[in-house]
Amino acid sequence: MSRSLAAPQKLLRPLLQSCPRTQQQQQCQRFLSTQSSSCRPRRPTTAQRCTLDSQSTSVSSPSRPFLEQRRYKAKTVEEAKSRYRTGPFSWKAGLLFVVTSAGLVWYFEHEKQRMQRKRIAEATKGVGRPKVGGEFQLVDQDGRPFSSGDLKGRYSLIYFGFTHCPDICPEELDKMARMFDLVEEKAPGALTPVFVTCDPQRDDPKILKAYLAEFHERFVGLTGTYEQIKDMCKAYRVYFSTPRDVPAGKDYLVDHSIYFYLMDPEGDFVEALGRQHSPEQAARVILEHMKDWKR
Amino acid sequence: MGWFSTSADEKRKEEVRTGARAPDRTERKQCWDARDGFYRCLDKNNVVDSLTGEGKKIADKQCATEHKAFEENCASAWVTYFKRYRVAEHKKKETLARLEKEGANRMAVEGPGDTPGSKKI
Repeated sequence: MSRSLAAPQKLLRPLLQSCPRTQQQQQCQRFLSTQSSSCRPRRPTTAQRCTLDSQSTSVSSPSRPFLEQRRYKAKTVEEAKSRYRTGPFSWKAGLLFVVTSAGLVWYFEHEKQRMQRKRIAEATKGVGRPKVGGEFQLVDQDGRPFSSGDLKGRYSLIYFGFTHCPDICPEELDKMARMFDLVEEKAPGALTPVFVTCDPQRDDPKILKAYLAEFHERFVGLTGTYEQIKDMCKAYRVYFSTPRDVPAGKDYLVDHSIYFYLMDPEGDFVEALGRQHSPEQAARVILEHMKDWKR
Repeated sequence: MGWFSTSADEKRKEEVRTGARAPDRTERKQCWDARDGFYRCLDKNNVVDSLTGEGKKIADKQCATEHKAFEENCASAWVTYFKRYRVAEHKKKETLARLEKEGANRMAVEGPGDTPGSKKI
């Protein structure tokens, strides 16, 4: 032992007493022979801790003051030995750790998703927010009057289109039928699928009925006068370019927005579902919003 | 009977062509098939825009049969729409390819209900 360790012997005495003498010597020798960096413990065992303590007190390395806080005193040699053998970890502790972490991760993910949906659903409610949707008075495909009141009490999925639509609307309506079936499977009677024409001049109830029958017998088809449809589209922020008073026999197409509007049972807008959603994804989104509502 | 049904079919087809009647599912399918046939011919001849200029000339010459079937099976408004759509779609693809080459990042346009790795349309 060199002189460097002799001086602080007094300081170290309480610590050294708790460690087996031989082991402690060994450790200190190792510490002295190798430099401080190589002596850093990979596992904080008692014997090594003693070394660390001696290191921090005797050599006084101010760069690692935190080591001071990790001091652990074993009361008996047996305790120290048993601790050395098992370390601070056991399979029980490991299992508890894993289960707790998994539980927390699941809970936080679940809550995050719920809050996200809630934010989307509430983004359009309240004061000073853009209002999508509103009162309307139209006729359905059987010629019966149909108003916004008829949609209350259930979620509704509203799609705007027209029967002469070349490619997108038919595809989207097939998707809507699939979506509706998927939702209906899990939550029967909770959703009303609605198709609103943007082309009231050509799409009368009879034509709508024949058109929608090809997609799903449960679809509600709505039409009205040009003014009524214009107001409806305005309320739902739907862009449409239907020409007014086209002479009969002249063909034209209509540009319009192609979103599914999910409305809650109070007639408030919840979320717009677009072309990027597959029917399965869209159905999942709808069902999740429905679950939130019941809470 | 045969005569009658043929003329009724013709009448219906004519109505679809002029836009007096909206096509039903089978008629839409027929139209799309005819359109795809026309598109294939345009692809073969490297024509994107079959509405104007050189493209129209080539299309008229090389794809006359396909074009006739296209016009027969689709409403005339649809024919124009699909021809324009082809041009727009091509431009979109070009722009995307250019942006990708320039190193632009593709942003997800999915809603929050989407899962990553979903099918993009």
